[in-house]
Parts: sequence; C-alpha cells; structure tokens
Amino acid sequence: MSVHEQFADDLALYAIGALQGSERAAVETHLRECAQCRSELERLRGDAALLAFSTSGPRPPSRSRERLLSAIAREPRSVPVSRSKWGPWWSTLEWAAAAALLVVVFLLLHQNRLLRTRIGDLEAGSTEQQQQLQQAKQLLATLTAPDAARYVLVAGNRPPQPQGKAIYVASSGTLVFLASNLPDLPPQKAYELWLIPTTGSPIPAGVFKPRQGSAAIIKPPLPLGVEAKTFAITVEPEAGSPAPTSQPIMVGTRG
Amino acid sequence: MLRAASDVASADASLVAAIRNGDEAAMAQLYDRYSGVVYSVALRVLGDTGAAEDILQEVFMQIWRSPDMFDASRGSLAGWLAVIARNRAIDSLRKRRPEAEITEVIVSVEPDLVRGVEWSRTIEKIRGALGSMLPPQRSALEMSFFEGLTHSEIAAKTGEPLGTIKTRIRAGLLALRKACNP
Repeated sequence: MSVHEQFADDLALYAIGALQGSERAAVETHLRECAQCRSELERLRGDAALLAFSTSGPRPPSRSRERLLSAIAREPRSVPVSRSKWGPWWSTLEWAAAAALLVVVFLLLHQNRLLRTRIGDLEAGSTEQQQQLQQAKQLLATLTAPDAARYVLVAGNRPPQPQGKAIYVASSGTLVFLASNLPDLPPQKAYELWLIPTTGSPIPAGVFKPRQGSAAIIKPPLPLGVEAKTFAITVEPEAGSPAPTSQPIMVGTRG
Repeated sequence: MLRAASDVASADASLVAAIRNGDEAAMAQLYDRYSGVVYSVALRVLGDTGAAEDILQEVFMQIWRSPDMFDASRGSLAGWLAVIARNRAIDSLRKRRPEAEITEVIVSVEPDLVRGVEWSRTIEKIRGALGSMLPPQRSALEMSFFEGLTHSEIAAKTGEPLGTIKTRIRAGLLALRKACNP
C-alpha cells in the first residue's frame, strides 16, 4: 500500500471536514509534503461541490439581493484589500522572511565594521612590511651589486689574503656568503661553496665567479636544521658539481 | 441561473477583477450568477430560509470585502462558493466559529460542468449518481456533508464500523466524480 493509498479514505473525509483529532493532524502533516495528495484534495473538494450542486433549485427571495446591494453601497471600497493569494500561512512566511532579512542585514553591517577594522590593521601592517622589504632589497642590492667596492681591513702592513665570511642560520636554511681577494679562476671553472655538515656529505651552497676577487652569495633556502661543521670552497666546472671534485682551497670553522 | 458562457472561468475571473476595483455592478452580476448555488446549499444544511439568507449575505459580503480570497487561476468559482457556503452553514448549524480560512480552500470542478447549457445535465447526472447509490452509502455521504457529522459520529449513529463509514464516504465522492467525468 502506497502512502497515498494509506491516506486515501482520510483525505476524502478531510475534504468535507469530517475528520477530527489525530487523524486530521496526520493528514495535514502529509499534505504539507505531498503535492499529489494536495491535488487530489482539490479534486475531492470538487466532488463535494458536485454534491452541493445536487441541492440546486431553491432561489433566494428578491429581498436578499436588495439587502446585499444596500450593504455593499454602504461599504464602498476605496482601497482594494490586498491579500496574498497563497493565504495567511504564506503571509506569515513573508513576514518571517522579512524578519530574517533584517537580522541578516544587521549581521552583515556588523561584519562589515569588523572587516573595515581588520582592513585598517592589515593596511598598517602592510605598510610596515613594505618598509622592511625595501630595506632588505637595499641590503641585497648593496651586497650583490657588481660595482660594490669591498674593503678588507687587516692589521699592520700585511698584504690582503683570500678571505671568505659565511653567515648561516641553520633553523631557516639561509646563508649569506661574502668573499674577497680570491685568485683568478682557470677558464670554464667556477668556485663552489660547500656546507660541510657534522654528519653526512657536503651540501652544495652556491656556484660563483668573483669579480675583481670578490663575490657575494645570498642562498635561501638550504635544507632546514642542518648543523654546519664548516664551510669550504673548491674549484669546480662552471655548471657546478653535486659533490666536490677537488681539494678545498679555503675552509673555515665557526668563529 | 448559470448563464451560458463560452469560458466560465474567464468570465468569473473578469468579474472578480472588477469587484476588486470596487465595481458594485460586477458584484450584482456575480450575485445573479451564483446566489442560487449558495442559497440552496445553505438551505439544505440549515433547513431555514432566514438562516440560509444570512449565510448568503455573509458569503457575498466576504467576497466584496476580500475578493482576492478566491484565486480564479486555481479553481472553480461555482465549486468554491458551494463548498464555502456549505462550510459556513455547517459552522452555523453547529454553532461554532469558522474552522478554516476560506482562502485555503481550492475547489477543482470541470468548467464545462457549470456552463449554462450543461448545467441542467450536470444536475441530472449528480442526482442520478446519488439515486444509484446504496442507501447506507448515500446516507453516510449526506450525513457527513449536509449535517456536518464526523465519521465517528456517523459510525456511532448507524452502528457501522469506522472503516466502513470512511470507505463509503470516499466511494460516494468518487462515484459523483465518475458520473460527471465519465
């Protein structure tokens, strides 16, 4: 038995108002979710109207017509009464929708205020970051500029010696390497910097060709958290090597 | 009573639209067209001409005050008026407040059945179907519709099982449908 058949008899009784109590409530619940039964209800009411038509014959007295027309003449309607064609339950929905919209508008206004405040904070933070970024760019440009003049300060009258300085942060894998007074390279060769960890193989940390003996390497990122025992420089082919192929010309431990 | 019209539904919709604009002449036309349906149902239920006239007045005044109660696009005005008049008459008979918002009542009747030229034949078919019913079935149908008894009250009154009463009422309504829409 389908759900519609289950309600079939009760639907007929409901159509003529002969159903009461829990059975009536059950039909109304079902009708709210069943378009097929709502349509059948309209037809059953049509069937009931046929039963009403069976009484056809008696005519109202003429005074009834006069009574009605007098009543409507006393009650002119200057403004048509407007009601929702979907009935009062739909009107209730309309009011509920309006109330819900009002709540949403208030929420959006509140959120808008919060977002504006947040945007103000972000703009302030962004300005600060822009300034820091600008300073970092200037620092990098200074370190890596081809025309940067490097001055090596040594004690006494000793001639300048090849020198390299590595500043390394293991936790972020960042490295700044500055070199000076390096000897000229053979053709098709380059220097390669190596991070020599406390355990494991040397890690390539940059290939460079010095200009007038000087070079600068900014190398982020290297593998994170690698503890460096030392840094070393070897002479390698121009493209660099994955592992040292010659003896280091410079080695430095942590100072 | 029901004038000949090529399109009853369209004519009814036009009348209701005119009433919505406060046209008293349209209201008089509507009354002339359907007062017989409303009055005869109310009289059958109440058995009193004065009380039936009161229902007649009440139903048409409601249309005058709130013409949008009836949605011409969703049902038959003749059927709607018949059902509304019956419900109001039952409420009056049982001395109770109106139960349902009448805007919720949609009544589906084939427009051809209430066309002027077909009206007499429709009445004949309905009365023929009622006459063909077994007396207990017709009685159950009429007690529920014209006396406003619930199926429990009918069962108590007739001594028949509740399920039997339910089935008879539904079968009776479907027999009327079949007679008019073969």
